[in-house]
Amino acid sequence: MSTLDPQQLRIWLTAVANQDAQAFRALYDTTSAKLFGFALRILNKRELAEEVLQESFVSVWNHAGSYQASLAAPMTWMTTIVRNKAFDLLRRVDHTVELDAETFDKDVMNAMESTDLSPLESLQLTEDAKGLAHCMTRLEGLHRQAIALAFYHDLSHSEVAQQLKLPIGTVKTWIRRGLERLRMCLQKSEGA
Amino acid sequence: MNFADNERLLDKLAAEYVLGTLKGGARRRYDALLARDPMVRRATAEWQDRLQPMAQFTPAVTPPDSVWRGVARQVGIQVSTAGASTTAGKRSFWLGLRDDLSFWRGLGMVSTALATILVAVLATRPPAGLVPVPATTVASTPAAAAPAASLSYVAMLADDQAQPVAVITGDIGTHKMVVKLLAPQTVAADRSLQLWAVPKTGSPRPLGLVDASGSVTLPLPEGVTPEAVSLLAISVEPKGGSPNPNAPTGPIVYKGAWLQI
Repeated sequence: MSTLDPQQLRIWLTAVANQDAQAFRALYDTTSAKLFGFALRILNKRELAEEVLQESFVSVWNHAGSYQASLAAPMTWMTTIVRNKAFDLLRRVDHTVELDAETFDKDVMNAMESTDLSPLESLQLTEDAKGLAHCMTRLEGLHRQAIALAFYHDLSHSEVAQQLKLPIGTVKTWIRRGLERLRMCLQKSEGA
Repeated sequence: MNFADNERLLDKLAAEYVLGTLKGGARRRYDALLARDPMVRRATAEWQDRLQPMAQFTPAVTPPDSVWRGVARQVGIQVSTAGASTTAGKRSFWLGLRDDLSFWRGLGMVSTALATILVAVLATRPPAGLVPVPATTVASTPAAAAPAASLSYVAMLADDQAQPVAVITGDIGTHKMVVKLLAPQTVAADRSLQLWAVPKTGSPRPLGLVDASGSVTLPLPEGVTPEAVSLLAISVEPKGGSPNPNAPTGPIVYKGAWLQI
């Protein structure tokens, strides 16, 4: 698998906007495994994740023309499509993902909890994702977990509270503070 | 709600919207604001940039081939078994050409303008290039309108401001292409404008030198079809053309999609 070089991805997306099938294939080859891993994590079921991945790439083909206007990083744009499609599917099929906060996203959490970033290196992250991972390692464990749970599983404050067996007020505060800290940390690393 | 006075509130809402914890009525109200308030859109985009990379924290898992086949079938492209990434290195030049925001943004506008300008070009083409029968006759005797002398391809080249600069028509009957500059361009005395075919694979192919004002007729080589060549481009080269037959040495100044009529 090639690296997720944003410049290269952007070039391919631009070509895809011009109905370039070869660039589309190259884009698929480079990003599909990463996007599939993400969809799998949300949906927990291979056949659902496959359906969402397929829908997402059809959407990338159809909407690549509007990508430029979004000004987002290519992976941000594509993972947003996958995330929206995955959540839509969950609502459509009324499928409840079995969540276990104890073991939730263990490898991801472990990666973020270690202070050196070597496990993250193996995840092949773009620069912006490395920056976010770095800032997330600096949050308290439970704050980080509350944010990741909400992000990956479309949870409300009360659902996160239920998962973490904590009062909703506490969770609200943690998420708010966590997001505020992330913003400051990311600003700092941007300036550096 | 007026967020102008309350950036902190907007920032907080945008963050929870992107994270997903803003639910129900609050989320619907936010959606409505998102549709009409550019400030809300900007705040949302900023949080998307911050939080969405979390999606990359999961390890990659290779999907089964059936997914790609399904995608290809749905969008109507040929299923190729071999990945295209092997040719990625060679394609950097022409892909680089396409990585031009203003050009693609302007493309919609350019396409609309294309039809209008094409009519103008057709009307001003030299008599030699015209179908030797009047249009009314063509309509009544379809046999006379043999494909031998008809326009086949067209490209409108635009500058980096998406302003149309040149119209190029190709005629597969006569194997000729006509390059018409819509307005005279200024080129230094020791420089030439050179036209290139930018193919979907392989290196660019020089098509000839272009007059900086007026029009010029060039041979249309075999294979310069819209199926094989997606773009035509004009670069600024040393007098007489690029010393490298496989690539421009100077900047690409105008470009446009090569289309079948």
